[in-house]
Amino acid sequence: MSAIPSSGWLYGAIQRGRNRGLGGLYLVVAAFLVLYAVLFPGILSVSGFSKFTQNWFPLALVTMAQALLMLNGGITLAIGPLVSLGAVIAATTMGGALGVPGGILAVALAGLAIGAVIGAIVAHLRLPAIIVTLAGSFIITGVALILLPRPGGFIPDWLSTTLAGHTPVAFLLLVAILLAWKAFLATPLGIGIYAAGDNPIGAFRSGVPVERVKIVAFALSGLLAALAGLFVAAQTGSGDPVIGTPFTLNSIAAAVLGGVGFLGGKGTMRGAICGSLLLSVMINVMFFLGFPPVAQYVAQGLIIVGAVAVPELLKQWRARR
Amino acid sequence: MKTLENSPTVSRRSRLLAGAAAAAAILALSAGSASAAANCIKGDRKAPYTVGWANIYSVPTWMKQTEGTIAAEVEELKKAGLVKDLMITDAQGNAQTQIQHIQSMIDANVDAIVVIAGSSNALDRVISDACDKGIAVVNFDSLVNTDKVTAKINTDSSEWGAGAAKWLADQLGGKGKIIVMNGPAGISVSDDRRKGAQPVLDANPDLEIITETNTEYNVAPAQEAMTSLLFVNPEIDGVLSLGGAISAGSVMAFDRQGREQVPITGENARQFLELWKEKGLKGWATMQPNWLGALSVYTAVQALEGKDVPAFVKVPLPVIDDSTIDTYLARADQFPADGYIYSDYDKALFDKLLAQ
Repeated sequence: MSAIPSSGWLYGAIQRGRNRGLGGLYLVVAAFLVLYAVLFPGILSVSGFSKFTQNWFPLALVTMAQALLMLNGGITLAIGPLVSLGAVIAATTMGGALGVPGGILAVALAGLAIGAVIGAIVAHLRLPAIIVTLAGSFIITGVALILLPRPGGFIPDWLSTTLAGHTPVAFLLLVAILLAWKAFLATPLGIGIYAAGDNPIGAFRSGVPVERVKIVAFALSGLLAALAGLFVAAQTGSGDPVIGTPFTLNSIAAAVLGGVGFLGGKGTMRGAICGSLLLSVMINVMFFLGFPPVAQYVAQGLIIVGAVAVPELLKQWRARR
Repeated sequence: MKTLENSPTVSRRSRLLAGAAAAAAILALSAGSASAAANCIKGDRKAPYTVGWANIYSVPTWMKQTEGTIAAEVEELKKAGLVKDLMITDAQGNAQTQIQHIQSMIDANVDAIVVIAGSSNALDRVISDACDKGIAVVNFDSLVNTDKVTAKINTDSSEWGAGAAKWLADQLGGKGKIIVMNGPAGISVSDDRRKGAQPVLDANPDLEIITETNTEYNVAPAQEAMTSLLFVNPEIDGVLSLGGAISAGSVMAFDRQGREQVPITGENARQFLELWKEKGLKGWATMQPNWLGALSVYTAVQALEGKDVPAFVKVPLPVIDDSTIDTYLARADQFPADGYIYSDYDKALFDKLLAQ
């Protein structure tokens, strides 16, 4: 990663400290991945790996979109509708005059703009993010349904094959996005996201443009959610105005599972990503273990509680020693 | 076992093929599908088969009963040595999860996939992937867009609406004030049933629709909706109810308000059929038979066994009227109180439907 040479030692120490709380989660995720590979060795092939990461990719993106805001002390309930809207815009514009580049641009701009507007309302009118994004979710759902009342639209085959074929393009994109996040954190604006989430007044007095940071955080979050929608459209080959709905709750679950706190400034992106990976791999592992659906509901709950409890127990055990 | 890439005994090393090689193999596989009888079938899979049942949501009673017919059919086919295993998944209403489940079924190399789609488009690509692998894919109830499936099985929702409207028009002599009760707005089934009723209503201009409602396919919301409609409308001659337990809710609303019952259409919900008998209603009902699930498994196995099956199996709507309701109520105790009493089915019926 992007270690800073001059303060390499300090950087390493800080990163170790941040990773410590996540040790338990890493362990649980690793155990599930190993179990999955044992149950289905095909995951180790290029094609198997590609298909698995493709199903994880949109959840990873929306988890980033959610964690980004939670780190900043906010939250969004508009993730799912934004995914749907992204999918709908992609499916309705790509057949038009501007083609695929135009479609991607339209999705990205819509995500950025909607996010920025929500962010501006939250930051400048000082309204609670949960209310503004809840209201926003209704509006966005409505717009998606107006643009495409029934599932349909058009995504070129080659785009579907490129993004969601038998090659790990989705995984490489995720790596690229994570590196970009890492680089963003090295900018004043990036650090500002944590600082303003942890202690807004302190950050403000230290010269962090708290309101601008908040708007940027919402805009980036909107961008990530809309791009997740674009990917879903490519993966399914069409747009569906309600396909994103379950992502809202899952993005919050994955972020919290990854140790991101509701109060801001607490948690790491890598933790959130791990949380989303656990939610995704869990579904496949339970399938290959042959769990009946009713048991899957129960097991899912137990795994989530367990994944949150294990790090906590490890911490207590360490403290006692 | 000629196509190694597709056999369950495939070695780990061959699974580690590079992406290009895998893609080439898939191309080669799909090229060989022309010789097979039914769609998707390549003839390289041998009994006993593993069947995957990819449900979108398992909680509603209709779904539980449907799963019951699937499990019963699998037991039958196990006895015949045709099926060895049934894998069941529940996507909890999430189409994205359903894609993941079907991908896992492909990974686990099941021989057949039976599916109710959570979205008419979202599953298209993963289902055609399954088809390319020679897996028999049978889709019923809620259908997908792609034609790369072995068979699609369903009743005709628009005939449902037409049949109900026609019966009501005949009952009322083509004249009177009626209320139309629909399922939820924006759901294709409820939409299609309503559209099917329209031509009949147009042909009977003296049938006046006083008002129309949309409710969930459940008793309580329907009863509530009808209760408020009864307050405003002193004169109602008939109720055109298009499915689920809506009719039961409507009948109960009439009863509670002390209003005289009127001719009503409905579905095979046990509650409605029992009220029909108890109150001596003038009634008519049809159904989305739960055994579409059993038929789907049967169809998949038939196709795997090399039989030709139709790409679309249209199942005629079974009708319940005064002459047949007793045969349904006689079996009522075999069904859950909030469940659906479906018509009898057997192998002969399935064979007849597949011979269309």
